[in-house]
Amino acid sequence: MIEKMAKVEILGLKDIALDAIDVIHDQGTLHIEDLSERISDMPDKRVTRMEMDPKSAEHEATLSNLRAKVGDMIRELAPDVDDISPADVQREYKAIWSDNVETMIARIEKSLAEIEKETRDPVERKADLMVELSRLEKYAPIMYKVQPLAERVARMQDMASIALIIERKYKAILNYLNEEISKLTNGECEIVASDVDDESTAALIVFNRHYLKQVHDFLAVQDVNQVRLPSDLARKPIDEAVGEVRARIAQIPGELDEIDRKLSQVTGKYSVQLVAARNAIHDRLDSMEAVPKFGQTDQVFIISGWLPEVEVKNMETALADRFGTKVIMTVVDIREGEGEEDAPVALRNSPFVRYFEIIYMLSKYPRYGTIDPTVIFAIFFPIFFGLMVGDMGYGLIIMVLGWILHRKYASKPLINMAGFLLTMGGLWSIIFGALYLEFFGDLLMRWLGLIEEVHGEEQVKYILGSEDTLFKYPIDRLEGFTFMLGVTIIIGFVHIGIGLVIGIINGLKEHNRKHALEKGGLLMVLTGFMLALGKFGFSWWPSALVGVGIVLAVAGVVVAGIGGGMGGVVESLVGVGNIFSYARLIAIGLASVIMANVANSLARQVGGGGGVIGVIAGIVVFVALHGLNLVIAMFSPSIHSLRLHLVESFGKFFEPAKYRYEPFKKTGGEE
Amino acid sequence: MGEAVKIGLIAFSAALAIGLSALATGLAQSRIGAAMAGAVAERPELVGVTIILVAIPETMVILGLVIAFVITTLKSA
Repeated sequence: MIEKMAKVEILGLKDIALDAIDVIHDQGTLHIEDLSERISDMPDKRVTRMEMDPKSAEHEATLSNLRAKVGDMIRELAPDVDDISPADVQREYKAIWSDNVETMIARIEKSLAEIEKETRDPVERKADLMVELSRLEKYAPIMYKVQPLAERVARMQDMASIALIIERKYKAILNYLNEEISKLTNGECEIVASDVDDESTAALIVFNRHYLKQVHDFLAVQDVNQVRLPSDLARKPIDEAVGEVRARIAQIPGELDEIDRKLSQVTGKYSVQLVAARNAIHDRLDSMEAVPKFGQTDQVFIISGWLPEVEVKNMETALADRFGTKVIMTVVDIREGEGEEDAPVALRNSPFVRYFEIIYMLSKYPRYGTIDPTVIFAIFFPIFFGLMVGDMGYGLIIMVLGWILHRKYASKPLINMAGFLLTMGGLWSIIFGALYLEFFGDLLMRWLGLIEEVHGEEQVKYILGSEDTLFKYPIDRLEGFTFMLGVTIIIGFVHIGIGLVIGIINGLKEHNRKHALEKGGLLMVLTGFMLALGKFGFSWWPSALVGVGIVLAVAGVVVAGIGGGMGGVVESLVGVGNIFSYARLIAIGLASVIMANVANSLARQVGGGGGVIGVIAGIVVFVALHGLNLVIAMFSPSIHSLRLHLVESFGKFFEPAKYRYEPFKKTGGEE
Repeated sequence: MGEAVKIGLIAFSAALAIGLSALATGLAQSRIGAAMAGAVAERPELVGVTIILVAIPETMVILGLVIAFVITTLKSA
């Protein structure tokens, strides 16, 4: 249901504008309308956008910097938000908050300085250690490769060596280097190379120390990576350096763990302060950033916005109590159908239906003044899901998983809502599973002995009815495909029909007769089509009804044409095709039941091989294939059920809202 | 022999109904999927809507399956 909104304008003396904004912010119910566009269109420039005084602008800049600083600290310290008690954050928020911005800034700065003092050194030390570890891990394999050769060179007094690291794909450059350095050293040089890993090759150039400068100068212009060890290691003999590198690589993770432990203690101590400071800064800036959306004259400020009708009285009382007659709130008379298009939309549904508002994460809210279809989604989504899955075993697992998700992620709206939808979908899967008598495919029917072999073919023994009767129990989705196809087409007619009836009501509510005619024409076409289609389903269907159906369909095309022109005619014909889209309700279920039966059959064959290993293999096949089918059964029916709503049904009437209701309110330390 | 040819043709027709519609769906989904990957890379909040868009061409293969199933029932006619 869409909440009834009232448009209000608040006017008051300019010198108390910021106080009035604070009161409105505290109330947290006004959806602000940005007046800047309206003001710029005004020919008379007596009304201008509200601007902050220089001091407030300075406070805004300081708070923005503090917000960035707190954000950085939260990122560095990464407190576990789930462990933080909202009550603690709220208490700290109240301690930080002050109506005087300067006092509030001073409190936050003091807090941050204290946190920074305790965290700066460990954070910097941690960064240094990570850099050192990464550098040593890069050098270590190279050093291990060149160590034996370097040790030999070290024993030769006249010889010097330089280690290089080269990408493997450019390994050929070593030949060129060998030739050039041989020229420089009059042949007193040698290069040995060895691959370090898939990407790099280490090389050691050994040459007469006499040519050290020339070789260094030459390599400097050749753009090759010389391995330069950290200065403290470079001066040591290679074997000693390798030993130290090994020791440091082993030692650093321990040091990092120790720093992390200290940091987590500090984080635990200050996380409440940080989150509360972030919320307080957010609220204060939210209030300041709203100022340019308001208007002002020389003496008066103007705030325009929307309130839920039930909140008008509270806002009036709050403003009157604080400012008396210095601030006046007026409810603007919005005549039905005029000006309503700009009204922000808030939904007010029962707690059960509210979980199904998840659909508005994929689409906008319905336009103000139209009908909210959430309740239709709440009824049909789980039914469609259950109709497609239709297995008691799968339904039970989906229901339990959905409920766990729903309970565990109470603070994460998307997962919480999705969990509830899965729970309801699982419940309907069990109901339809009972109708189809499916429990992990045909397992239950086999246990009950309801599958018998006749002339080498397996057949279902019906508990109610027989192969020749229209209705039989259990409804075998394979044998009863045509029956279920008919059922899904009727469901499609009802589902699209509801959408069209809502379309007609929306048209009548908005006095848009053409819109109502177009939707009514389409409904006539669909009804006529269903009346004619009855003849194909039932031999006893009266021919007169077929005639009525054809007349109704033709008349419907004409009515749709009158209402919506050529578009209406085309839409009325396409709408008939939409009904067949509901065939997916049985087709997807059919694919699922065939896969479940294949899983059972394979598991029986593998398990029947004999012995314990055969049984274990059979169980593995059973679990793996049913597991795969279950994952598909959770994903695919959700998507297709959503699609049937968004495309086939809602597509017939849904008009998106321009704006969602987003009240101007404080977090109050709750986020 | 005649009966065998009839069953063969029915099976072939059913295979064509599901096979061609599956190919068409695959082709359409490959293009929508590529566009979806691009769109989601730039605007991750579109992921929900794009999943619905990818599901739209599946109507073809679903109707193909229904037709194929109906064709196989001709065997007993």
